[in-house]
Amino acid sequence: MSATLKPYLLAVKRTLQASMCLENFSSQKVEKHNKPMIEVKESPELLLNPVIISRNEKERVLIEPSINSIRVSIAIKQADEIEKLLCHKFMGFMMRRAENFIILRRKKIEGYDISFLITNFHTEEMYRHKLIDFVIHFMEEIDKEISEMKLCVNSRARICAEEFLKRF
Amino acid sequence: MSKNTSSSAFRRIDVDQFNEDNFKDEAELPAHGEAGSPAASQLDSGPIMSLIQGGQPAEALKTILAHAPMGSTKAQEEKDAALQLVLKVLLSVKQQSQVENLVKQLDNDQRDTLMKYIYRGFETPSEGSSAHLLLWHEKVYEVAGVGSIVRVLSDRTKV
Amino acid sequence: MKTIYTFGGVAPLTCHAFSADQRQIALSKNNNQVEIHEQSGSGPNGDKFALKDTLDQHDLRVNGIDWAPQTNRIVTCSADRNAYVWTQQPNGTWKHTLVLLRINRAATCVKWSPKENKFAIGSGARLISICYFEADNDWWLAKHVKKPIKSTITALDWHPNNCLVAAGSSDFKVRVFSGYVKDIEDKPSPTPWGSKMPFAHLMTEFSNSLHGGGWVHAVSFSADGTKLAWAGHDSSLSVADATKGLTIFKLKTAHLPLLSCLWVSPSTIIAAGHDCTPLVFNVDGAGQVSFVSKLEEDKKGDGGPAKFSAKALFQNKDRTGQSEVADTVLNTTHQNQISCIQIVKGNKDRADVISTSGGDGKLVLWDLRTIEKQMKGLKL
Repeated sequence: MSATLKPYLLAVKRTLQASMCLENFSSQKVEKHNKPMIEVKESPELLLNPVIISRNEKERVLIEPSINSIRVSIAIKQADEIEKLLCHKFMGFMMRRAENFIILRRKKIEGYDISFLITNFHTEEMYRHKLIDFVIHFMEEIDKEISEMKLCVNSRARICAEEFLKRF
Repeated sequence: MSKNTSSSAFRRIDVDQFNEDNFKDEAELPAHGEAGSPAASQLDSGPIMSLIQGGQPAEALKTILAHAPMGSTKAQEEKDAALQLVLKVLLSVKQQSQVENLVKQLDNDQRDTLMKYIYRGFETPSEGSSAHLLLWHEKVYEVAGVGSIVRVLSDRTKV
Repeated sequence: MKTIYTFGGVAPLTCHAFSADQRQIALSKNNNQVEIHEQSGSGPNGDKFALKDTLDQHDLRVNGIDWAPQTNRIVTCSADRNAYVWTQQPNGTWKHTLVLLRINRAATCVKWSPKENKFAIGSGARLISICYFEADNDWWLAKHVKKPIKSTITALDWHPNNCLVAAGSSDFKVRVFSGYVKDIEDKPSPTPWGSKMPFAHLMTEFSNSLHGGGWVHAVSFSADGTKLAWAGHDSSLSVADATKGLTIFKLKTAHLPLLSCLWVSPSTIIAAGHDCTPLVFNVDGAGQVSFVSKLEEDKKGDGGPAKFSAKALFQNKDRTGQSEVADTVLNTTHQNQISCIQIVKGNKDRADVISTSGGDGKLVLWDLRTIEKQMKGLKL
């Protein structure tokens, strides 16, 4: 684990704790509606200040809280073209199955690789501290997953090349 | 039927914005610190730079935080200049124990303001700055608790 | 000493209210029904609650319940824009009467006035309905307090003089209005909040924060009605004193935002919220607010101090090289946010037992007198 990952995740975790203070809030514009305010943005006073936590130029997290929902967007480290491609495919795969991941958003926020949308209904159904742990866990695993996939691709390419060059 | 009805643009008009009961941000919120006197809100970079170079980051930090330009009445350039100054101070402190000491010397309001600057610093990451800001974030949290982050999110006057 | 009750399932308890004899409780499990549970047996504590009745009239989530102790009436309000007053029939069943609220957004909170001849309902329609019974037509009528509310009303409390009502709102303001209805009551005598009280008159208005921001989650008048406490979303607890020229004393806490606050003595406030545990605050003679302690001590021993769970988590990972997230349990009685605090025994002058309920579906009774003895240095 590199030196900055720990404080980075810790800062994200603490910011999530502070921002995931949600409550049930019915719409004050449309009667009998109850929508995530961060998505509909119907009243400015119900939104909180969005914050960014960055680890370096490429890796950062955007947290946009509101009274009954928060949106967490993550930009993942992509060092080279292969990682970019892998990340893009992997995130696309997950977002297409967003409802299986419950808190995943189907569309990412511009400039980030993946977005979560957590509403008060999620925090009512699940413990808040476990939701936070999940997001942190996700952030840890995703880096590992992508580097593993990259290794797989590379070793596969090597074998292919070896097999191909055996002919000569 | 008139042919205007084929247009759907009218469906996208936000009629609610004309409701007179709508919430509006208050334009005039008093700047904190020694509010009132206009000189107090003026930040002079000269003396602060000499404080930093003279090895007195604590004094420099306190001066900036006490006169931090906040709220919508302040120009964005002024805020950016203040941010650059704060970042300079923060990055000039290298030792972990020194950071701890510095945070402990501030009062609660100053720590809240410092937390706001840390988050603003995250928005423009430069070489190595984020790693250092993460350290500051950790130390301020240890002293001021999660409440300081909550206030970064909820306060409507921005630095 | 605390007693924990659950009511089947882990659904959050939106709100709860006790009957006058504390043997019955009305609660809502985050849905459109209000359940009435009754304690069996004769013991004062420790007996299980059993479901006795279900008040099923609302269409959407119930947002507020209040049980009038003297007249034994329950009022409920809900996101379906309606409120009902429930009166108990001789055979024990509850009969509902619709209240003509005339609002077109969700009703968010409800509170009986001290004399129980009227109640106030806050709503997302940016107004407060002051409701009273009109005997001629045999229905509950509402009068509206509108200006200058700019957002949803989130919390209400009545002044002990039965006329003033404090309202917290998500436009970062706390306001004190007059709820004097001249049709049903005598003219109120002057208070430190003002002497003229025509209906809907704005007596005073406080901003939650100098920096703006912070939705107001809870308001509470002190027992004598001279002080008003409120909790804001910037993790602050503020007390305004009418006898000291409406000065505000604000305490910015180091905790997560508080959702509910309550005076339990003339100088003590208990507040709870997203931190999952009730906190005790002291208001001294000069009006300064200070944090005293938590109402429960951190549990020790079972699986290490969960207080530093983040640290332990990373240490564990560092040591074992595994990234399996350990099953974290908060070391508080409640495992999710506390949204409601009520006095069970006693009053705002001297509360003996309080109850908290919240997102984890638990109802906890806190016996303040025994807690006071157990925890050194804690005066309640």
